[in-house]
Amino acid sequence: MTSSRQAVLDAPGRDPLAPASARRVSSRLPSLAVMLSALFVLLLIVATAAPQWLTPHDPLEGDFLAVLQPPGSGHLFGTDRLGRDVFARTVHGARYSLCIGLGSTAISVFFGVLLGVAAGQKSRLLDEGISRVLDVISSFPGVLLAMLVVIFLGQGMANIAIAVGIAGIPKFGRVVRAQTQAVRGADYVTHACIYGRSRLQVFVRHVLPNALVAVPVTATIYVGSTILATSGLSFLGLGPQPPTPEWGVMLAESRDVLRVAWWPGVFPGAAITLTVIAFTVLGHHLQRRFEGRQP
Amino acid sequence: MSAALWRSVAGRLGGSVVVAWGSTTAAFVALHALPGNIADILAGDLDYPGLREAIAAEWGLDRSLAAQYVDFVRRIALGDFGTSYELRRPVADVVASQLWPTLQLAAAAGVLALLIAVGVAVLTAGRGRLPRAVASLVELVFASTPVFWLGILLLMGFSFTLQWLPVSGAAGWQALVLPAVTLALPTAGLLTQVLREAMEKTLEQPFVVTVRARGLGEWRLRTRHVLRHAALPLMTLGGWIIGGLLGGAVITEKVFGRPGLGTVTLNAVLSHDVPIVLAVVLLAAFVHVAASTLLDLLYVLIDPRLRAS
Amino acid sequence: MTFLTPSPRARRGLLPLALGLVSACSVAGETPRQGGQISFGVTTDPICFNPHRSTQQNSYILIRNYIDSLVAKGSGGRFLPWLAQEHAVSADGKTYTFKLRPGMRFHDGTPLDAAAVKFNFDFVRETKNTNAAGELLQAVDAVQAVSPTEVRLTLRRPDSGLLESIASVRLGLISPKSLQAGDGLCAGGSALAGSGPFVFQSYSRGQSATFVKNRDYQWAPGYAAHAGPAYLDKVTVRFLPEYAVRAGALSSGQVDVIEGVQPTDVGLFKDKPGFQFLVGPAGAQTSFTLNINYTVPPADDVRVRRALRDGANIDALVKSVYQGTYRRAWSNIGPDNFFYAKALENAWGNDVAGANRQLDAAGWTGRDAEGFRTKGGQRLTIEVGYPQPFVRDNREVLIQGLQALLRKNLGFDLKLRFITGGEWAQQLQKGSWTIYPNTYLPADAAQELQGNIGESGFIRAVADKGDKELFRLINDALASTSAEGKKKLVQDAQRRAVDQAFIVPLFSANYQLAAKAHVRGLSFETQLDSPSNFHDVWLQGE
Repeated sequence: MTSSRQAVLDAPGRDPLAPASARRVSSRLPSLAVMLSALFVLLLIVATAAPQWLTPHDPLEGDFLAVLQPPGSGHLFGTDRLGRDVFARTVHGARYSLCIGLGSTAISVFFGVLLGVAAGQKSRLLDEGISRVLDVISSFPGVLLAMLVVIFLGQGMANIAIAVGIAGIPKFGRVVRAQTQAVRGADYVTHACIYGRSRLQVFVRHVLPNALVAVPVTATIYVGSTILATSGLSFLGLGPQPPTPEWGVMLAESRDVLRVAWWPGVFPGAAITLTVIAFTVLGHHLQRRFEGRQP
Repeated sequence: MSAALWRSVAGRLGGSVVVAWGSTTAAFVALHALPGNIADILAGDLDYPGLREAIAAEWGLDRSLAAQYVDFVRRIALGDFGTSYELRRPVADVVASQLWPTLQLAAAAGVLALLIAVGVAVLTAGRGRLPRAVASLVELVFASTPVFWLGILLLMGFSFTLQWLPVSGAAGWQALVLPAVTLALPTAGLLTQVLREAMEKTLEQPFVVTVRARGLGEWRLRTRHVLRHAALPLMTLGGWIIGGLLGGAVITEKVFGRPGLGTVTLNAVLSHDVPIVLAVVLLAAFVHVAASTLLDLLYVLIDPRLRAS
Repeated sequence: MTFLTPSPRARRGLLPLALGLVSACSVAGETPRQGGQISFGVTTDPICFNPHRSTQQNSYILIRNYIDSLVAKGSGGRFLPWLAQEHAVSADGKTYTFKLRPGMRFHDGTPLDAAAVKFNFDFVRETKNTNAAGELLQAVDAVQAVSPTEVRLTLRRPDSGLLESIASVRLGLISPKSLQAGDGLCAGGSALAGSGPFVFQSYSRGQSATFVKNRDYQWAPGYAAHAGPAYLDKVTVRFLPEYAVRAGALSSGQVDVIEGVQPTDVGLFKDKPGFQFLVGPAGAQTSFTLNINYTVPPADDVRVRRALRDGANIDALVKSVYQGTYRRAWSNIGPDNFFYAKALENAWGNDVAGANRQLDAAGWTGRDAEGFRTKGGQRLTIEVGYPQPFVRDNREVLIQGLQALLRKNLGFDLKLRFITGGEWAQQLQKGSWTIYPNTYLPADAAQELQGNIGESGFIRAVADKGDKELFRLINDALASTSAEGKKKLVQDAQRRAVDQAFIVPLFSANYQLAAKAHVRGLSFETQLDSPSNFHDVWLQGE
């Protein structure tokens, strides 16, 4: 990997793969965009934990007399081809997108940190070896890697979370690696060693916390990408099966009736988009707030 | 060009070969590390007379693991991806026959994304607050929009309502428009941001002041001088973008009912046809690596500052 | 046993009748024009193009273009001449004689004579060739080529469904040379030489299949609108699995004909200038039915099965999903079938209170956190394993609707899982399938019952645990030598199957064709209910 590309991709916290515009927007109107995003995420959490507060309808139950009704009284987002309330399904679907998104981010973070910290140590061999492994993982385009995982492990929510999780390991691996290396050379580490602290103490109390400072921020921004990826895989039919009200599945189901009904296709997609935007904006806001603490 | 340059070129090429070999090894390990008999995995759910014998013969299952591995790497290197037992055809045939529509789509989308990115970035870099804020917002929205939702929205608007463009298929250039636009927009959203940020950084450079002082017009300044500098970070993303286009093509093909590699692979996953999925995934990895390496080399050749390293 | 053979006088009368029909059509002002090409958008890319091996209903639509049968099934249950100009069945029902037309050839030049017919039937019967159609010839003891134009079948026992099977595309004739090539012929193409009005030229998986005119075709079936070769030069079939895509392709002019139009798209073509919309018959094929494997718990308890059968308002469900285009079914035999058990209409179903009582009586009184019934800690779950290649026609949507209703009404967990064709084959082999939803190719009613719920039906792997009474009724029906006797047995079998809830019939499906207005001659084949082949189709000029 060239040093130039390395520089772009490893810059601590700086994520070239995420909208820099989010930072711009947030820095100009820090209150509005960030407040809205935070509120939306709160809404998602409520939808995940207690969807019944937001809608009285059952997402799986269809009213056969009210098939494909447009948004209107009684059905905020209309009904789908089985008479199920689209708003209820969208609300209940938040749980799946959020859980799969967070789950796969957790997998990426866990293994990414593990590998990144190991790679950031003194051993050149370990560094090269792990970097090659990360290169190999990132050589597979995300969707296709997920298909490979699904064909081996089967379909379903857990497996696509694993698939997307694996695909995200290189990202965190590289960030943490760069951070670890930077921190190891920092002054305060040298001072700690001079003061006679053991290597383990130095590692746990000084290197690790500072190496990982970028992780929560990166993870928050990255959740958006995982939600996009996992809903895409569900759309393809590799994730949860119908009648699960997952947003990607709902979009797949909506395609046959698009000509006569726009609402089953528009609302779940808007939900995905807004969720991704919210996490991205929040993540960049966090980034600006913590930027001062970079070594 | 100096010997140092040749060395670094050779180094990068060597590195890419290592990664390609690593991907192949990873695929092999994944195949064998799974629970269950490998013959069963390769057979999917099929069972017809002669199937097991054909699998055993082709994959050399009676030989040692090391011998199988060497054989596997050799076959992949020579382009022999084995046979699909489901379709009863060589995988290479199946892939080759469906490759063109996907390449068309990915290429069209890539070019379109690039054009949009360059256009918008050149227009809005360093301008006033409002255009940049608006552009930023639009880019954020597009980069956050799922490809399949965008496709559905465009379908609804342009195919069903306005009836300007066909709903599906691959017949004629009209059928390429909506899928290409769908695939291009999210990528364009991302590229525009990177490009604009790079352009703004470059516009702060001292040499720009000099060029302006010499009386060069703003447009020429941007397109002839600043753009070239700003394009460098873009190239580092090239490999990632190509990977994203290939993956996005799979989803876009499903939305628009286009034939292509994505459709073939999806069907293969759903019918447990392991050889095809393996082949497509490896091919995509190779393309990704090749593209990244090419861009890496281009980067080195273009940026004089890196020649020495 | 004359009821199976049109009387000689009737047969002789058919030819003038057919000619009369043709001339009547001509008098209506439309003379068929030769030439032209057509593109046909279909739902399903066939798994296998060999009629002896395929059990996929949608594959037969394409196969009929290049495969002929010995006799043709006409309306009213009569059998018309086709490759066999005459046929006769002995009084004891154990000898069938077919007199072939002279001078017929397969697409690869091989003569289509008695020897070729014998080769086909022997090949299909031979178990090591693993042809699915072999089950249709189980009663046949020997096949003889008495002369180059006469074939005689000798049976071990009477088989009242044999003539219908012989008229079926599944026992259509393939060139012995192709069969001998030995690779199963599922991939189609020119290696699969039939004798039909079109030659199978090429096939590209997931994309298209092309058929070109067979210029030597002189042996059209008795129900054809014209004798002689097809009008069209070429038919290109395009595989467009999704409704919206197919309908869009037709409305934008990319294809000329499509099959399978969902209710919400009918308005695009019906009564619209420039388009035509045709609906096929709905009676001959079996209804879309849930076949329950009653040897696997919890379905081994008749109370659970009856609850499943009665726990939902199937009428409302079918109406809402299909918006009135399909009829609700009361039996698995189609309503237009002579052997349909009409007494079953309105005799069962939609009894939620009764269903709940059954489940309570069966001990499923517990409830888990999601509201499903439990017994001894186990949830009341039965899985519908739906093979993906057979999914079409929004049937999975209907099953999901049923799923929701059963959950709400009974706390019954009906799971829906899409499985691969291979997994279905495995489940079939082991008898481990739980619920299999299907429609079955029209055939003789007793044959349909045998193929679905009979001893050699889907339950064959565990037939020893099957319902002996049902098997007896079906076997007796197959061996019956009197129409009335057979009808009673078949109806009794249907009644038993519904009463014991071995099956839950859902709806009677039909095929739909939508096309550009200038495509003429589109029709539906009696034997299949599905769109006929393109032999009689022609293009009206601009």
